[in-house]
Amino acid sequence: MGIAKFVVRRLLLGVLTLFIVSIVVFALTQALGDPVRAILGREAQPESVLAKREELGLTRPVLTQYWNWLTGLVTGDPGTSFTNGVPVLDVLGDRIWNSLFLMAISAAVSIPISIAVGTFAAARRDKAFDSASSAGSLVLASMPEFVTGLLLIVLLATNVWQIFPAVVRIRPSEPPWVQPSALVLPVLTLTLGVIPYVSRVMRASMIEVLESDYIEMARLKGLPERTVVWRHALPNAIGPALQVIAINIAYLAGGVIVVENIFNYPGIGLALRDAVTDVNVPVVQFIAMLIAAIYVIVNLLADVGTILVTPRLRTGLR
Amino acid sequence: MGNDRRYELWLPRAVSRRQLIFGAGAAVVAGGLAACGGGDDEASPTTGGAAPDTTGGSTATTGSSATTGSSPASTPAGTPGGTLRVGLVGSTNDIIDGQYIVAKADQARCVTGWDPVLNYDTDFNISYEHSLAEEVETKAADNYVIRFKEGLEFHNGKPVTGDDIIYSFRRRIDPELNLAPGLAELLGPDGMTAIDDRTIEFQLLKPAVTFVNSLAEYTTTIVPVDYARFDGDVSTQVGTGPFMLQSFTPGTESVHVKNPNYWGSGLPLLDEVQIIDFADAQAMVNALASGEIDAAMDIPFAQVSTVESDSNLRILESQAGNWLVITMAIDQAPFDDVRVRQAMRLIANRQEMVERVLAGHGRIANDMYGVLDPCYPQDIPQREQDIEQAMALLAEAGQENLTIELFAPDDTAGLPELIAVFADQAQAAGVTVDAQVLDGGTYWGDEYTKRTFATSFWSTRPYLIQVAAGSLENAIYPETHWPPPDSDFTEKYEQAIAETDDDARCEVIAEMQQEEYDDGGNLIPFFYNLVDGYAANVQGLEARPNLLNLDHYGRGWKSIWLES
Repeated sequence: MGIAKFVVRRLLLGVLTLFIVSIVVFALTQALGDPVRAILGREAQPESVLAKREELGLTRPVLTQYWNWLTGLVTGDPGTSFTNGVPVLDVLGDRIWNSLFLMAISAAVSIPISIAVGTFAAARRDKAFDSASSAGSLVLASMPEFVTGLLLIVLLATNVWQIFPAVVRIRPSEPPWVQPSALVLPVLTLTLGVIPYVSRVMRASMIEVLESDYIEMARLKGLPERTVVWRHALPNAIGPALQVIAINIAYLAGGVIVVENIFNYPGIGLALRDAVTDVNVPVVQFIAMLIAAIYVIVNLLADVGTILVTPRLRTGLR
Repeated sequence: MGNDRRYELWLPRAVSRRQLIFGAGAAVVAGGLAACGGGDDEASPTTGGAAPDTTGGSTATTGSSATTGSSPASTPAGTPGGTLRVGLVGSTNDIIDGQYIVAKADQARCVTGWDPVLNYDTDFNISYEHSLAEEVETKAADNYVIRFKEGLEFHNGKPVTGDDIIYSFRRRIDPELNLAPGLAELLGPDGMTAIDDRTIEFQLLKPAVTFVNSLAEYTTTIVPVDYARFDGDVSTQVGTGPFMLQSFTPGTESVHVKNPNYWGSGLPLLDEVQIIDFADAQAMVNALASGEIDAAMDIPFAQVSTVESDSNLRILESQAGNWLVITMAIDQAPFDDVRVRQAMRLIANRQEMVERVLAGHGRIANDMYGVLDPCYPQDIPQREQDIEQAMALLAEAGQENLTIELFAPDDTAGLPELIAVFADQAQAAGVTVDAQVLDGGTYWGDEYTKRTFATSFWSTRPYLIQVAAGSLENAIYPETHWPPPDSDFTEKYEQAIAETDDDARCEVIAEMQQEEYDDGGNLIPFFYNLVDGYAANVQGLEARPNLLNLDHYGRGWKSIWLES
């Protein structure tokens, strides 16, 4: 079995996963509340409730509703917003790319730092840096993003020093990187959320590798420690950590929702908040499916990556 | 969207429920406010015990005839130029329509682009300042003539004509659009005759002096023939207001640029206004503190002291007539006995409610609404907490140790807190209140207006319009099932609404208010105020009684300027 076959099999599994998720998402969004009541509120007179229900297609059998939604989703038409009748993809528009950009930047910053911190801590096990990074990781890991985010705002945007903007303002039709200084705090918040986990796993994995025979051999050959750690140990230590890295990148998809709300970053997180409040079911469903798809894809990439960096698994596929 | 007749009231479609955020303000009665209009940056209205002497207030026929800042001789004070960035809590559901709003965020955008036909002054008498109308003549309670100001032009330079005016009113009452169903009940599509290009005669379907109030709604504006709601093309958003729409992305921002054809000479001062949406009030306050925006609408109570402590920021508190209420259905046990209703009203410690529910940012009420209406009776004594008398009344009614459920929705700020405080206070009288908070969808659902003991919220309205909304048998939201069957309240309402003499009408209204004060089912604990924040360099915002936030959005920001 080649790598291609493996990828295809995993893709099919991913599609199956998404199918099951779609059932769960659809079922759970039914429990969000009554969209018609949420839209009409105090003005909900029986006739208008009925008319609205008809208009939104909520009078059809649930299975029909599900089937229509699913087929629409597959064909790239996730429906229209309940609140204003605009297609979901237009409601979200650039917001999807804004969120993906925030995720990507945060991953690009946090993963290398985590790997470096974990590796460094393992190489100097029980020394000052190791203890400090361990303690720091524990503190950061115990803080939810909204606490980290607000502390950073108080520290770097409003009360103590006014260095960075407290909110991200992305003008319509502008890409999110136009004002880089505004991105610092959201990216930092997400980065601080990821580093503890990835660096701890990296450290553990690295320690294990550093204790293996081939590293001992390399050292005995008189290679400098730096070469031993970064050239010989690191590639083997990353393999086990990849899964955790993947989970954390996928976790960023959820983390952006919190962070976007703190910094008013115009992405899917802000849209989700609106949609949940309004019981705007099509938008909630689409964002949930989008995040599920990101999980599936990132995990798939991690699996492929693990195989590629692990010779034993790579040959096992043959 | 909906068929909510609240749109048609003093404040069109006040606020969608979840967006009801308390503004803050000190406890003041309307009359005390003249004292705090002194342009002080710090909004610190004095607590005025003095009652406003406005019972002889006037409607359009006699109202203040001050002209606007357009008076050619006066040059507006302030430095022209610059961009004002205004933050508010909005969402992707925001709309722009020169004659309608859905959510509170839409108010600012409507006021920025369109002038209303009439306005209120700070005593809530009809005013011609900031208004398109120059004079409204009341020929009879069902017959009015409106003369518009000379030289009015739209954003694109086209003069305002009689056709535009008639189109604007027809659009307001169009049953398809349902923008102003209340006005549609008074005015038919053929009820208007153009006498000349700026004078229109209105023949109503029935006598109603509240027609003049409907002219003073900020959504009663003039739009050009064939105007329609924003649907992606900014060039369609033509109005008469100080700023023209340049771009709009719902949930993100709108940009408005100076109208070069504005009828107010030398106005507006600013070159550009940006209205920026925030999903979260906290993020908005942070943006104000870090200088990303210059003004912020509706500062949450918890944030007021933070803003106040920042030397670069100011709080703007405006008194308003918005109220929360505990409602008792007067035809359902135990409230079918007026003594039990009185007992509940005597249990309430209103000052404590202001402190605990509004964090002090409001003023106590006296179980009567329409407080800003010039006809509001000032001589009815303030009802105070009196546990002893409450217990005596309950004993008389055979309801000692009453246990009762009281409901509130979870989507309206203040109501859950209000019933919790009331439940605390009721204990002293031996009344066990089971305070139940329901989710908004359920609360405003089928059972709404049917519950025995519940809560609600209302915005600022003239008395008679509020009566039509909540206190008649065929009211839109008959929360208390008022009036009682043996009362002549409805006849008095019909009499008052057809009475063109202000004093005579106020007399009838005073009787109606007295009856609701004595026997009604509303327990109205307080009126809460509007509270906004702005940067110290923003000039021209004044703390005064207002229907809308940010000093009525600076009347379209026209006199606002930035100090460099």
